[in-house]
Amino acid sequence: MELTGSINVIGYGIAAIGPALATGMIFTAYINGVARQPESRNVLQPIAFLGFAMAEALALFGLVLAFVL
Amino acid sequence: MSHNQEGAAWSILGYLISGPLFWGGVGFGLDSWLGTGFLLPSGVIVGMGASLYLVWLRFGREA
Amino acid sequence: MRSVTNLRSAGEGFVPPGAKDFVLPPIFDSIPWLTKPILLVALSVILVSVFFILSSRKAAMVPSKLQFAGEGVYGFIRNGMAKDVIGPEFMRFVPFLFTLFTFVLVNNWFAIVPMLQFPTFSRVGFAYALALITYVVYHSVGVKKQGLFGYIKGIAFMPGVPKPIYLLLTPIEIATFFIVRPFTLGLRLFANMFAGHLLLLVFFLGGEHLLQGVIGLKIVSPFAFIAGIGLTFFEFMVQCLQAYIFTLLSALYIAGSLADEH
Repeated sequence: MELTGSINVIGYGIAAIGPALATGMIFTAYINGVARQPESRNVLQPIAFLGFAMAEALALFGLVLAFVL
Repeated sequence: MSHNQEGAAWSILGYLISGPLFWGGVGFGLDSWLGTGFLLPSGVIVGMGASLYLVWLRFGREA
Repeated sequence: MRSVTNLRSAGEGFVPPGAKDFVLPPIFDSIPWLTKPILLVALSVILVSVFFILSSRKAAMVPSKLQFAGEGVYGFIRNGMAKDVIGPEFMRFVPFLFTLFTFVLVNNWFAIVPMLQFPTFSRVGFAYALALITYVVYHSVGVKKQGLFGYIKGIAFMPGVPKPIYLLLTPIEIATFFIVRPFTLGLRLFANMFAGHLLLLVFFLGGEHLLQGVIGLKIVSPFAFIAGIGLTFFEFMVQCLQAYIFTLLSALYIAGSLADEH
């Protein structure tokens, strides 16, 4: 059996693990925080989404590099 | 922002895609025009930085 | 993968399912555009219409089961989605969102309905036609509400930013609103349906192929079918979720166009 394709894609698959875990952890912490103290939602929400944006930025960097390199 | 909570993640993703896409595209065009090689990666990085800044403006300021 | 290759009986190889499995030939040779997805779309329109006409025809204070189901779906879209997301002007958009949701949902369900078993939106054209409708709707709503220049200005210029930064940010905003959003909207639906159908094909065709192999592979093959059945239920969940997300994002985009300041 012959497999063809670019090894960049495998690299991106591995690289996507990190941001995936990070996104999960960010929203875990956010949900925990809001569940414990519902009034802290307004404070936590921008922080959670900024953290999500950061993690997602890394994932998209990986995607771009998989295509560009 | 209040009714927009569910959509925040989706729009963040949209911004993060279009920033590197646009400025990376500009870098790619300049690269093939000028014959250089460093403008595409720097365009991608600039675009990602601008996207993050935009996300901060949209979703982080109203804390 | 390697071990499977070695175990397999010699002879014809397994042809993995791929993008070619989604290109269906026309049903009659003389009518090239009449393919299975077209028929499925027509069928879905008939099914949705008949269901909701029947469920609303004899509307009574004490609802029948059918009326209860129809009103449940309608209430879910109107109160759970349109009212929460769009705000006070939501009633105008309920018919659009409701039609969108039921249409996408029924077409997605076709992927796991026996005998039909083809998700219409795994053909990219259908997904993008829907995304285009949403695109036209949310932009025209914005232009109507704020005027052409007001709408563009609201999109392109974040308030409270030093002037030179606009050079950096405005193209991103424009690209997001006019290119990336409809693109990802259609792509998300298409890719989920495509990948889901491909996944089921892999498990069922692969299980069938294992059944034709040596005795060791025959034993393994039921597991492929069991996994395929499990994944069918998983796909059912994904189909409902994708219909919901498509409608939710349409509602969010409309809400964004209606809002004066973002």
